[in-house]
Amino acid sequence: MTTPAVDETNGPSGPPAVAARADNVTKAYGAGDTQVLALDQVSVGIDKGAFTAIMGPSGSGKSTLMHCLAGLDSVTSGQVWIGDTEITGLKEKHLTRLRRDNIGFIFQAFNLLPTLTAAENITLPMDIAGTKPDKEWLDTVVNTVGLSGRLGHRPNQLSGGQQQRVAVARALASRPEIIFGDEPTGNLDSRAGAEVLQFLRRSVDDLGQTIVMVTHDPVAAAYADRIVFLADGRIVDEMFSPTADKVLDRMRGFDAQGRTS
Amino acid sequence: MSVVKTSLRNFFAHKGRMILSGMAVTLSVAFVCGTLVFTATMQTTFDKLFSQSASNVMVSPATAESSFEEGNPSGRPDSLPGSIVDDIEAVDGVETATGVVESTSIVAIGPDNDTVGPTTGAPTIGINWSDVELRIMEEPEGALPQGPGEVMIDGDTASSSGLGIGDTLSIVSVTGTSDYAITGVVDFATTNPGASIVYFDLATAQEILLGADGFTTVYVDSDGNVSDAELRDRVEAAVDSDDVRVLTADEFIQENQDALGEVFDIIRYVLLAFAMISLLVGVFLIVNTFTMLVAQRTREIGLFRAIGASRKQINRSVLIEALLLGVFGSVLGFLAGLGLAVGLMALMGAIGLNISTDDLTVSAAVPITGIVLGITVTLVAAYFPARRAGKITPMAALQDAGIPGDVRAGRIRAAIGGLLTVVGALLLVLTTTTDEVGPASGYVAGGLLLTLVGMVVFAPALVGSVVKVLSSVLLRGFGPVGRLAERNALRNPRRTGGTASALMIGLALVTSLAVVGSSMISSASKQIDEAIGADFMIQTSNWQPIPPDAADALRNADHLSATSDFMLMPAQVTTPDGETYEQSFSVVDESFPDMMRVEMSEGSLGEALAPGNVSIDAGRAEREGVEVGDELTITFRGGEETTLTVGAIVAPGSEAEGSPAYTSVATVAESVPEDAMPLPWMIMALADEGMVDEARASLEEAAGALPTLEVRDQADYKKMIEEQVGQLLNMTYGLLALAIIVAILGVVNTLALSVVERTREIGLMRAIGLSRRQLRRMIRLESVVIALFGAVLGVGMGLAWGLAAQQLLAMEGMDVLVLPWATIIVVFIGAALVGLLAALVPAFRAGRMNILNAIATE
Repeated sequence: MTTPAVDETNGPSGPPAVAARADNVTKAYGAGDTQVLALDQVSVGIDKGAFTAIMGPSGSGKSTLMHCLAGLDSVTSGQVWIGDTEITGLKEKHLTRLRRDNIGFIFQAFNLLPTLTAAENITLPMDIAGTKPDKEWLDTVVNTVGLSGRLGHRPNQLSGGQQQRVAVARALASRPEIIFGDEPTGNLDSRAGAEVLQFLRRSVDDLGQTIVMVTHDPVAAAYADRIVFLADGRIVDEMFSPTADKVLDRMRGFDAQGRTS
Repeated sequence: MSVVKTSLRNFFAHKGRMILSGMAVTLSVAFVCGTLVFTATMQTTFDKLFSQSASNVMVSPATAESSFEEGNPSGRPDSLPGSIVDDIEAVDGVETATGVVESTSIVAIGPDNDTVGPTTGAPTIGINWSDVELRIMEEPEGALPQGPGEVMIDGDTASSSGLGIGDTLSIVSVTGTSDYAITGVVDFATTNPGASIVYFDLATAQEILLGADGFTTVYVDSDGNVSDAELRDRVEAAVDSDDVRVLTADEFIQENQDALGEVFDIIRYVLLAFAMISLLVGVFLIVNTFTMLVAQRTREIGLFRAIGASRKQINRSVLIEALLLGVFGSVLGFLAGLGLAVGLMALMGAIGLNISTDDLTVSAAVPITGIVLGITVTLVAAYFPARRAGKITPMAALQDAGIPGDVRAGRIRAAIGGLLTVVGALLLVLTTTTDEVGPASGYVAGGLLLTLVGMVVFAPALVGSVVKVLSSVLLRGFGPVGRLAERNALRNPRRTGGTASALMIGLALVTSLAVVGSSMISSASKQIDEAIGADFMIQTSNWQPIPPDAADALRNADHLSATSDFMLMPAQVTTPDGETYEQSFSVVDESFPDMMRVEMSEGSLGEALAPGNVSIDAGRAEREGVEVGDELTITFRGGEETTLTVGAIVAPGSEAEGSPAYTSVATVAESVPEDAMPLPWMIMALADEGMVDEARASLEEAAGALPTLEVRDQADYKKMIEEQVGQLLNMTYGLLALAIIVAILGVVNTLALSVVERTREIGLMRAIGLSRRQLRRMIRLESVVIALFGAVLGVGMGLAWGLAAQQLLAMEGMDVLVLPWATIIVVFIGAALVGLLAALVPAFRAGRMNILNAIATE
């Protein structure tokens, strides 16, 4: 299922195709009086070929939403689809295969296996799957993220920004239907962070990749096509074609709310 | 929070990670304590037996130094004259003197022509029933044996053989074979030491065991008005003979205890040696555990340092954790040791040696030794990790937790290890250059120690190359999972090296013993081929000499062209220069040169066996300045002093069996009365031309009268040696199993801790699509690679040790080198299985890990 993220399922007149979808998803921890709702009846669709950011203050449930969308975490109720596949209720084995073949991940830190070189880290998902990487595509990806000179290096020989770029390259290399990023620039300084975000942006624009990114950084979120705002486990707002200032304003609103509530 | 408090919290917080190290300590300490308790309990059991049975004064022949010395070779025990009991009874202060005749050279045969009695090597004892027996036996059931043809047996023998009152036993003794009706059965009041006892009346015992009117021991009880020492002096004065030893009860008990104590000391030291090996292996486990715990806590320790904890405090906090581990492990070990001792006693009971748990002897020294040992070893092992912890800088708190993988085995360490290994190997090689046993043993011992220490130190430096080679062969088929496993095994060479070293020790011992064992078997069979000309060798299965009746029957079997007895006869030899020494002679018939070839450096075997002649070994001849033609003054045991001529000198290292001092039966008979002639422990026979099968049938028939006799041809004889060596090896492997179990725990421990350490890595791999099955396989492969690395080191070192040992033993005649390929292959397969087994739990746990927890940022 290494389809490039080109609109296939919908005609030109139809609504934008959806790469992932949450339908009335509730995620609860604990039970009875001590029950905490991390997600409260959230429904959201992630558009294909777009860069979506999920924002919200700490404890808003943004990471939980991403984990549920990516099949890393189970939901208490509701359904989650990746493409046309409903993943809620899928067996662990199928979920693993789905993650391997259809999803790419970029985490905040510890993205790479310290024992493998950059190149080996990039092709790891395909190696695990036992598929051959597309050489040409791999070169494109590696050039896009600007790593060609560093492929033989171990992660501990790379800077933080370079490590995250390797992670981006790994996520892109297998041409997944969707890439999830969990604060991918959270550990980087602003320059290195900007570089990584530019690569993500370019991979959406040039390569047609679908990306969902969780972040609390307005500057990072401004690279997205659309921002979904979460607070207290609910989607509270949405913003298209954001700018850092607009996002900051919106976030200030939440902060004020958060302080009063 | 004080340092101690932190240590306590850490210890209990990580108790799961400590379990395996604790088990290593527990197992080793249990083995030590179990050994001490078991041997002490055995000793107590026998001490009780001696002290209960002893009379105030014990009188025995001067030659019978203690009951555990090798008996008289004639099969007739040394005895006191029959008149002695009356002489002693006349002594003032003596209440009663009880004469006892006791001999172990009897065989009891049941109605089905099978041996009745212990199968474990413990003796069958023939003895006359007297009141002194009631000190260790219950009241007999049935009737006491009266006159010839009646016996009473002990209850344990009765129940194990299924015989009882009214059944018939056939008893073979030095004087002949007769049938006896069992008239009574008597149970042990104390612990049965494992022997079978057959009681006769006094006259019968004297007649069949001694063939004379005499006693082997006189139990002298005082009338209570005199001290034991005083009574001893009076008895001594009354018998007034150099041939008699008179001891007080205390002296008697002490003497027997000492004699037995030597046996138990040997058992104790052998078992303790194996316990030490496993303790040594345990050290690796503890070092690895603490190293990994310290590595995992780097940031925490850095924080402690940042807020003002001193190096010393950090160092101490780790050592306190080790102390706790040592205390827990050792105390549990002591308790487990008690259980082990009870278990061993139960095992002994199953083979006939009943030791009562009432006698369980636990001196304060046992827990003290065990616990001090366990704690010391744990602290020593934790010392280096603790020092490393102390060196962690406050900066570590601020940096990302050091991801292991960049830990390079120190160059200096590698250089030292390499140097030690090379010097050790050179010492081993030096063994081949000398013909002297003394320096050669020194080389082997030094080489063993240096290569062991050297390899342990050097192992991390070898991880890179050896693991790569192993992986390229083994893991090729496993694709990326194999590659990940290889990288994981390579990432921390010191850890992999330490884990493998633990396994290496046990496997090196197994391999070197296998080399020695297989070389021993082949050397022996080569010697048999070269030296033995006899078609048949007849011996008893329990190593007792062959009784006269059976020997006669064998000598007279049909289709034999010749037979030769093979006896061993102790003697005192005086050289022309007046030097006196003890020498055991191989006493054989004139036909012996046809049965066995003995290489002579001067003269021939025939000349050694000519009337009035003996041979002497080359070494002795040189030392004493004795040449062919010289006359030696020789007193054979139980004989008169005589003068014999050196007829030949035996070349060094040429004797296949027995002693290099040969003489003929006829020569010995000249100076030794018939009663004192030794019984043959082997009879060799040569079949008539072309009548081998017939001769065998005839010998088997002759041997049929005594079920313990075994007729063996050369092939059987080789097989017997092979089996004996095999049994010895298996016993040793069994004892080494403990060390190997501890090493396996070490592999489990390393894997389990590294799985914990790699939680986030595993989570990442699972997130990007590594299946549980692949993850488990990765850990299993890593484990197999580590285990095989240990096997490569162990087998390599074991071969070197084995080769050197064989070179050393070649001087003693073990000159054929055979490499035990089968064992080596088994070691490798076993190591791979150990790897799989060790990965079972860690792999399962890694598979169960929650991905979200694993990838969650701190």
